[in-house]
Amino acid sequence: MRKCRSHWSQGDRERHQRRSYYYEGPHTSHSSCGGRTREEVVTPPLPEHAAVGSPMAMSVDFKTYVDQACRAAEEFVNIYYETMDKRRRALTRLYLDKATLIWNGNAVSGLDALNNFFDTLPSSEFQVNMLDCQPVHEQATQSQTTVLVVTSGTVKFDGNKQHYFNQNFLLTAQSTPNNTVWKIASDCFRFQDWSSS
Amino acid sequence: MSLPSGHTMGHTDQVAQRRARCSDIYQRRLSSRSEKVNPGIHSSSHQQQDGEAAMHGAHMDSSVRYTPYAISPYNRKGSFRKQDQTHVNMEREQKPPQRRMEGNMPDGTLGSWFKITVPFGIKYNEKWLLNLIRNECSVPFIPVEFHYENMHASFFVENASIAYALKNVSGKIWDEDNEKISIFVNPAGIPHFAQKELKSEKVEKIKLAMNQQCDVSQEALDIQRLPFYPDMMTRDTKMASNPGKCMAASLHVHEENIPMVMSAVGMDKWKGTEPGEKCADRSPVCTTFSDNSSNINSILELFPKLLCLDGQQSPRPTLCGTEAHKTLPTCKGSFFGSEMLKNLVLQFLQQYYLIYDSGDRQGLLSAYHDEACFSLSIPFNPEDSAPSSLCKYFKDSRNIKILKDPYLKGELLRHTKRDIVDSLSALPKTQHDLSSFLVDMWCQTEWMLCFSVNGVFKEVEGQSQGSVLAFTRTFIATPGSSSSLCIVNDKLFVWDTSHQGTQSALFTLVPTAFSSVPAFSQEQQKMVQVFSVQSGMNY
Repeated sequence: MRKCRSHWSQGDRERHQRRSYYYEGPHTSHSSCGGRTREEVVTPPLPEHAAVGSPMAMSVDFKTYVDQACRAAEEFVNIYYETMDKRRRALTRLYLDKATLIWNGNAVSGLDALNNFFDTLPSSEFQVNMLDCQPVHEQATQSQTTVLVVTSGTVKFDGNKQHYFNQNFLLTAQSTPNNTVWKIASDCFRFQDWSSS
Repeated sequence: MSLPSGHTMGHTDQVAQRRARCSDIYQRRLSSRSEKVNPGIHSSSHQQQDGEAAMHGAHMDSSVRYTPYAISPYNRKGSFRKQDQTHVNMEREQKPPQRRMEGNMPDGTLGSWFKITVPFGIKYNEKWLLNLIRNECSVPFIPVEFHYENMHASFFVENASIAYALKNVSGKIWDEDNEKISIFVNPAGIPHFAQKELKSEKVEKIKLAMNQQCDVSQEALDIQRLPFYPDMMTRDTKMASNPGKCMAASLHVHEENIPMVMSAVGMDKWKGTEPGEKCADRSPVCTTFSDNSSNINSILELFPKLLCLDGQQSPRPTLCGTEAHKTLPTCKGSFFGSEMLKNLVLQFLQQYYLIYDSGDRQGLLSAYHDEACFSLSIPFNPEDSAPSSLCKYFKDSRNIKILKDPYLKGELLRHTKRDIVDSLSALPKTQHDLSSFLVDMWCQTEWMLCFSVNGVFKEVEGQSQGSVLAFTRTFIATPGSSSSLCIVNDKLFVWDTSHQGTQSALFTLVPTAFSSVPAFSQEQQKMVQVFSVQSGMNY
C-alpha cells in the first residue's frame, strides 16, 4: 500500500480525489488504493430543500432525509469502529472540535480530552450487531442537518472481559458544494452490564 | 531536510533514495549490534551499589539519585553475566506513563531519566531526526546515548518535563514519505542491551511466573497502538498480586519464550517467513536484501510478521503486558448536565412512563412533536434459535445493518405523532421499574436535550408475562408547552438480559436516577419554566 501511494505524483492524487466525489454512494477518502491519510465520512452533497410547509415538500424532504441518514449512518459506523480498533490515534478526526462523549457515565469534552481518553483506553475489538438511525428534526438542530445513530453489539477491551454495549451518536453534516462530511457532535457509550464491570 | 508534502519525485530518484536508505539502515544495524554492552547505563548496578536501596521508579519520588552513567565497580568490561540483574526492581505498579509523568511535573524532579523511542527510527538519519524533533519540541533538550535498537531509534533525556514535551511531539512530525513519526516515552529502566545477558535462576523463575500470568492471546500487535515501549520488569511478587493483569515485562526476558516485536532472538520462530514475499508489498526497504540469505535475519527483524501496521491478520501472541497499565475508566451512574435539567428530565420520564404503563398509550400524543420519529430494535443474535419474550418486538425491529429492503427501512421508521402512538399502542403492555432507571444526558443545547434512559421493565400480560426485559431509550426533545418536553426523536432498543445473566444486576445495588427524587415541587415547576424562558419560547 505504501508503495502504491509513494508512486503517485501530486497530480495523480488530486485527480483521484476529484473522481471519488462523483461516486453514487458514500465513500471514505482513504478506502481506495493509497494510504490512510484521512479519516472521514463523506457522502454526496446535500440536496436542496424543497419549500418548507407544502405537504409534498415535507414528504419529499422526509424521505430524502431518511435515505441520507441511512447512508451516512452505515458508512460512518463502519469507519468508526474500524478506526477505533485499528487506528485508534486517528479516531478523534471523526469528532467535532467541541464534541462530547459520555462513556459509562464519564464525561469527556473537547478534542484534547478525547485524544487523551482514547489513548488511555485499551485496545479494542468491536462487533456491531445492531444499527439504526433517524434524521433529527430540524427544530432541535436549528436546521443543522443531524442524524441520530444508535448501535449495539459486543466489545472486548484488552485485559478485560467482553461486554455488550450500546452507543448513540449525533452526527452533524458539514456541507461543501462538492460533498458532505459527517462528524460526531455527541457520543454516548454504555456497557449494558456496566454495573457489574 | 524533510520534503514538503506533495513533492514529486521521479521513479528512478525514488529507487536511488530507497537504496541509499537501505544501506544506511544496514549500517546502523551493524553498528548497533557490534556495540559492546555499554557500561554507561546501569540502573541495576547502581542498585547493587546501594545495597537494599530500592528504586521506586526512575521518575517518581526517587530518594535515590539515579545516575545512569556512573560506572559501578560491578560493571567493568561487560561482566554483566555475573550479576544478578533481577535485583533491580521497579516496585511501583504499572500506571499509564502519562499519569506518571504528570505526577512528576510539579516536583520538576531532576535526575529522572526517560527513554525516548522513535519506532522504525532506523530509517532515519540521526541528525535529521533530532533536528526534526527539535523543531517541533517546545523545549530544548539534549539527547543522550542516541542509538538504534532493532528497528527503532532511541535516546535518553534527563527530565520529566522534557520527556513530556517530547511526548507531545508524537504524531506532529512527518518523514519524507509523509508518514507520521511517533514518539514513545518511557521512564528509563533496565536498558535492553544490558538485559541480553540475564541468565540467572531468578530470571527463569520470573519467566515462569510471567508465562502463568500472561494472557497470551492470538492477536496482531498493532504498533500504532503501543502506548509505550515496554521496558520494565516487575517482580514475581507483584505478579501474584495482580493475577488478572499481564505485567509489562522486559522484552528480552521473554525472548526465548514468546516471539515478540523487535526481539532479536525471536525471529527463529518465523523461519517460515519468506522475506521476499512478505516484504515486497510492505516497504521498499527490504528489496535490497531479499536475495541475500545471510541477511534474512535482519529482514525478519525489520519486518516481523508480528508487526501488522494495517491490522492484517497475523496470529501471534500479544506482547504480554503491553497494555497492562491501560485500565478501563470506572463505570459510573447517571450523568446529568445540571441539577435543573436533571429534574426536568426525571419529571418528564415519570409522566411519560405513567402513561406508557397505564394501558392506554394514546395519552402520549401530547408528548410528541407533530413530525416526530420513532423506531425500535432488538438485538440480532444469530445464535438465538429459541423464541423469547422479544419475539413480539421482532416485526417492528429496525436494524439497518441487516435490513436492506428500502421499503421496510422506510416503513419501520414511524413518522408523525399519530403513527408513532398507534405503533406504541400495539406493543406489549409493560410495567417499567423507575428505580432501575439510569439516565445519560449526553447532549444539550438551547434548542434540545438529548438523553438516553437505561432500565428494565416487566411484561404484564401474554405468554411471557412476568419476564423482565432491559431497554435503552434515546429521546431527543425540544422545550414543549406546559413546561414539559416535546419529543422529536425516540429510539427504543429492547433486549433480553437472561442470556447475559445480568437480569437484575443493573438495578439492585447501584443508586439510580430516581433514588432521591421527591414528588413534584413548586421549585421544580419554576425550574422547568426557567428552561422554557431561556430557550426563547414563550409560554
